[in-house]
Amino acid sequence: MSDKHKPQPMVDEVSDFEILEMAVRELAIEKGLFSADDHRRWTEYVHTLGPVPAARLVAKAWLDPEYKKLAVTDGVKASLAVGVDWINSPPTGFGTPSDYCNLRVLEDTPKLKHVVVCTLCSCYPRPILGQSPEWYRTPNYRRRLVRWPRQVLAEFGLQLSPEVEIRVADSNQKTRYIVLPVRPAGTEGWTEDQLTEIVTRDCLIGVAVPKPGVTTNAKRPVHPAVHPVHHDH
Amino acid sequence: MSKIHHDRTHHAKKATNIGDPQCFKGEAGAPKFKVGDRVRVKDLPDLFYTRTQTYPRGVVGTVTVLVYESPAPEDEAWDNTDKSEWFYSVKFRQKDIWPDYHDLYANDTLETELSERWLEKA
Repeated sequence: MSDKHKPQPMVDEVSDFEILEMAVRELAIEKGLFSADDHRRWTEYVHTLGPVPAARLVAKAWLDPEYKKLAVTDGVKASLAVGVDWINSPPTGFGTPSDYCNLRVLEDTPKLKHVVVCTLCSCYPRPILGQSPEWYRTPNYRRRLVRWPRQVLAEFGLQLSPEVEIRVADSNQKTRYIVLPVRPAGTEGWTEDQLTEIVTRDCLIGVAVPKPGVTTNAKRPVHPAVHPVHHDH
Repeated sequence: MSKIHHDRTHHAKKATNIGDPQCFKGEAGAPKFKVGDRVRVKDLPDLFYTRTQTYPRGVVGTVTVLVYESPAPEDEAWDNTDKSEWFYSVKFRQKDIWPDYHDLYANDTLETELSERWLEKA
């Protein structure tokens, strides 16, 4: 084979952090802290988690003032009602350093809007929200949200009047946050299931507010192709 | 010479079925500050590890919640977990953190957590 036709490497770029993760993981396995199968099992488990329990927590809080009181004072206890056990959840049985067991539910009011960030890394309430979206981990979001929250929220399509206090929660220690947004107008008489559907992940991070009809499973408009492909056969 | 053995699972043993930071409850003694206290963030050296951001240092804020007791990250990073301290959620006015934050949005705030060693009465 001539030099001109060298095969491309299978993986052409691995970041320093990926190398660090592999090194620490392999050391931990060699030392017997956990096995490769444990690691695979935990990874598989965390990928089964999603934002639905947190959405249900919000819906329950909207419907039941007593439950709302519990949610804002003891988020960990309130999570049990939506099937999330921060303390004993499988498979670790205790909070790992990336999901400590202290959930705070930040209650919005018409005059107060919370939005969550982790400026130091990407702390996220994974047991109740699942894996964080890619943008949540970017330096761009982390640096700019604390400094220019209104501008960043506007980029997400959320423009708030100056009378509304925006409160950024910087998740820098062991507390993890979700936002309890204001129940939108037009949802009177709705069931818990209906309310749960409009509390999307971004509403729980605080970069969006729930709206009737806007759900993760909503039908999106289908635009016909400008130059459709015609098949002759 | 006997091999020095350090139990690397001691945190797991302590936190299992209790949770972290719950497993450090009651270890920090009496808290120095209470809800509503005005506190200033100290600008301590952070040569090795910290979770105190640069931006709130020197800024005065208000304690909103005494959140939990835990070893400070500066110690915990080195597995020194024998001394817990109180953690406070502190609310700052954005205008106090960023002097050129727009006056139109003077109500905007930011909340973050600091361990007791980082705070002094303002």
